[in-house]
Amino acid sequence: GTGRNEGKGWKRFQSYKGEAALPKEAESLRIFVDRKAQTIILPIHGFAVPFHINTIKNVSKNEEGDFTYLRVNFQTPGQLAGKKEDTPFEDPDATFIRSVTYRSADGHRFDTLSKQITDLKKEVNKREQQKKEMAD
Amino acid sequence: MTTQFDAIFHGLSPELGKFRIAASGMAWKGVDSDKMVAISSADIKWAQWLRVARNYQLRVGLKDRSREIFDGFGREDHDKLSQLLKQHFSVTLETKEVSFKGWNWGVTDFQGEDLAFLVSNKASFELPLSEVANSNIAGRTEVSLEFTTPSGSKKSKGAPDEMVEIRFYVPGTVNRDRGSDA
Repeated sequence: GTGRNEGKGWKRFQSYKGEAALPKEAESLRIFVDRKAQTIILPIHGFAVPFHINTIKNVSKNEEGDFTYLRVNFQTPGQLAGKKEDTPFEDPDATFIRSVTYRSADGHRFDTLSKQITDLKKEVNKREQQKKEMAD
Repeated sequence: MTTQFDAIFHGLSPELGKFRIAASGMAWKGVDSDKMVAISSADIKWAQWLRVARNYQLRVGLKDRSREIFDGFGREDHDKLSQLLKQHFSVTLETKEVSFKGWNWGVTDFQGEDLAFLVSNKASFELPLSEVANSNIAGRTEVSLEFTTPSGSKKSKGAPDEMVEIRFYVPGTVNRDRGSDA
């Protein structure tokens, strides 16, 4: 390989070591924020699919009729330039999940989820920033 | 002789039921609705075991190429179930590996009626194509799938969150200048 990501700071991360580590809350078939594992678990057709907070870009929420929609946006290559593309990827040629959208009649719960995800993202970013500063 | 497993779900339904296996076949009966699903032994072709949201899933492949799924088995049910399937139907319970890495990149793979997303060669999730209501390709590298949602979804405590859309970023459709070293 050409190793174009070598030395660019892509760090390997993982939500759970195995299926036994999946939290009980995944059973509800509802989105769950597992702060300890820095992971959001999305219910996708019966599967409990973890996404590490590092894969998540942001969340957006809107209301339409009786439902609230929550959209989880992920980090992917080839996103519109605006900021400089400094996010390294392990395999930029893979297929990426770019976003997943859910709806719920319970708007309050989606408010809470949206806040939990945003807060976790902020917390992790802040910690990364501090690590960087310490290293300098 | 019949063996019974309690607190088992059929498909994605929220209703709990009893699941029974005997030499004649297998059956699930809902506790609240008395709904019944029966599979006769002659129709059973294969069986899979995998970790899903509601604990472990037994997936049964049928002669007509359809399948039935049952969720809610415990890890400790595996050996018993495996032995019963072998004994009654001469079917091997295969384990399907599932990824819990938490990555959003992988490979899409069409498997029968499903679109599977694989992370490190393990299943991350599967989408039944029969439930795709609409699909779109945007800008040559983005594919979106929209799903049908039950129209009568009422506000109820503990209702599952409904996925309405997923978008994939699919590079590689544009010419690559480096061979296939992926």
